Amino acid sequence: MKKNIALLLAAALTAGSLTACGGGGDSQGSATTTKAADQGSGSEQKAPEGGDSQGSSGTVFPAGTLTVYAMGNPQYRQQYFETWLENHRDIAPDVKIEFVQTEGTADIREKITMTALSGATEDLPDAAMLDPVTIMDLAKAGLLKDETEYLTPLLSKMVDGAAKDATIDGHIYALPDSVRPQVLFYNKDIFDKYGVDPETMKTMDGYIEAGRQLKEKSGGEVYLSYIDPTSKTWRYWGRRGLMPSAGAKIWDDNGEVIIGTDEGTKKALGALDTMNTEGLLMKTTIMEPALYDAINNQKVATFCIGAFWDEFMRQNCDAVKGQWRVMSAPEFEGVGKAGAPVSQYMGIIEKGDNPYSELFRMMWYDFTFDIEAKEEWVNSMEAQNAPYSNPVSIEMLEDPFWKEPSDYYGGMSFREMEGKCLSNGADNLIVTPQDAEADEIISAELEKYVAGNQSMEDAIANMDKNLKAKIGKAEVGQ
Amino acid sequence: MLRTIKKYKAPYLFILPFFILFFVFQLIPTIWTIYISLTNWKGIGSPEFCGFGNYQKMMVDDMFWESLGNTVVYWLSGLVLIICCALLIACLLNSRYLQKDSARSFFKTATFLPNICAAIAMGLIFRMLFDENVGLINEVVSMAGGSKIPWLTSTTYSKIPVIILNVWRYTPWFTMILLSGLLNISKDYYEAATVDGANAAQQFWFITLPSLKNILFFCSVTLTVDMWKLFNESYILPGPGTSNSSLFQYMYESGFNVFNMGYASAIGVVLILILMVISVIQFAVRRKQGEL
Repeated sequence: MKKNIALLLAAALTAGSLTACGGGGDSQGSATTTKAADQGSGSEQKAPEGGDSQGSSGTVFPAGTLTVYAMGNPQYRQQYFETWLENHRDIAPDVKIEFVQTEGTADIREKITMTALSGATEDLPDAAMLDPVTIMDLAKAGLLKDETEYLTPLLSKMVDGAAKDATIDGHIYALPDSVRPQVLFYNKDIFDKYGVDPETMKTMDGYIEAGRQLKEKSGGEVYLSYIDPTSKTWRYWGRRGLMPSAGAKIWDDNGEVIIGTDEGTKKALGALDTMNTEGLLMKTTIMEPALYDAINNQKVATFCIGAFWDEFMRQNCDAVKGQWRVMSAPEFEGVGKAGAPVSQYMGIIEKGDNPYSELFRMMWYDFTFDIEAKEEWVNSMEAQNAPYSNPVSIEMLEDPFWKEPSDYYGGMSFREMEGKCLSNGADNLIVTPQDAEADEIISAELEKYVAGNQSMEDAIANMDKNLKAKIGKAEVGQ
Repeated sequence: MLRTIKKYKAPYLFILPFFILFFVFQLIPTIWTIYISLTNWKGIGSPEFCGFGNYQKMMVDDMFWESLGNTVVYWLSGLVLIICCALLIACLLNSRYLQKDSARSFFKTATFLPNICAAIAMGLIFRMLFDENVGLINEVVSMAGGSKIPWLTSTTYSKIPVIILNVWRYTPWFTMILLSGLLNISKDYYEAATVDGANAAQQFWFITLPSLKNILFFCSVTLTVDMWKLFNESYILPGPGTSNSSLFQYMYESGFNVFNMGYASAIGVVLILILMVISVIQFAVRRKQGEL
């Protein structure tokens, strides 16, 4: 009897563990069936793809949730799309939209990759906010819808290069979301107080000279800008800022590492070195309270950074409201370019029969080209101190709304300046599938430089050595 | 073999759940990791076989060697500091000065608290404590007349906060293990030693330590594995570059930040080999001592 009970117990334990292992599969299977059924019914009602999304009226999209992976503060973007859905209940009576907050593009890539790898395609999002490197990898893996046919007729309506970083071998794999320039934020009150002319900052030499004067006249109280001990120095000062504006290169046209011998790199990182060694930069982490305190106490005079910084200033530096102004980022002598614009995209995920591909395109189309709706949303963002960026639509940019003065910038129009600063943008560094790894290698050396462990010359030499040792040759050639 | 299984089917059935889980979640993934380490794979698409390319790359990768060196520092410092602290606290908890049960319970609970706190939350608090500009530690240093130390922004000091957090978090667990060992030592030994005139230090050296030998060995083996798997502490307290990264963290970052799954798997295989070698050495030493 005892033996039988023991056997029964052991069998139950074994069955239990087997059920635990296999349970997911069963439930997943049933979920797939249900979803497939849903998708099936949806596909029957689906509008034909391609072309101008305005032409899809009359289509009714199936009930469900359209999921978008995004970063930053996507809850604000969700407000626009929720309003859009409310206004379009005739075609999407039971569709909800959910923007899922992620840590960044690496996180989005990890989530999409792991989900695709597990085979649970029904769990993939319908769309995602992407950067050029992620677009390249996901497109290569067949996880992004080809938007070439849909976007080509619209390209002339968008700012120059809007789809450039999403184009691989002549195919466009994502919808342009924003193109934001590098700009120079400066505190006019500080410059007035110490009698330094902001116009001197048109060139990089002038920018550094302005820093020297501010340091001298303030008795070392005022810093020209900041330097971050983490990877953000490479991200904001290097990859997106000084390197493109100095015409620097990591790889040559064949993908060989040239950062160690490249004159542009020496010029770009040399400028950073000059500012750092002369004590013009406050050593602190960006987007942290210590820096915001310094800004509010008028101890930091400028930020040569992407236009996205506007959102952080407005949210965290109320004490200096009205004191800040914006101008084009400084140019290196002989190059004449003002930093590279940063593009962001919305990719529609290729997950078989995605019932919301067309719906998402319609939403994107209105977000990009519907002047009235966009302005209403931007006003709401301003009221909430929330982020928004300039549109990629040329027609929308010409609207007087995008030239309205901003209180935070003492009556100067930030939106207008953002548009103007795009005009002299440098080309971005070449995008390669090896960029994530290269960034890690380069940033590590730059961080050691900021920590005072090596000179900038040594840092550049080590970047070159480690890139050659670990990556060797990059895959260049979009 | 089948006859043996048939004869002992009840015991085999009882251990079957463990083996199913072991095969599904440990053995198969380990074999898969070894295979992936021989490929170039970005997590999507098909892995491309590259032979020992990832291992060759590792040999010339400064970041790998720095992370490996850091892990050795964390392992050795953890082994010494955690076991010493745990032994000291366990002896105090077991001492005759804590006669009252309520006092003993209170101190036992208080001692164990760091172990049940979330590592990431504690890491964030430690990051504030060790902040160069506004951290409490530097405030104390300044009050004592010293200059502010760049704990997390210098390659020289960046490992220290990680070691401190590590010791703080792991000591309670090993304190409890050692305390259970101390409670099993017969009081008769100490009484006899006292009668023979042995002082407290002699009693500790000649009675306590030899009696705890097996438990200390167990602690050193588990601590070794834990230290080589260190991740949270160094991840949440980053220093410049890989100046305080652990090997486990570097493996994660290679896999999920850079999406170089093949290279990350190769680091994983190296970690497995290192742990196997260390464990074999530890067991060999014990066997030589006649303890196993």
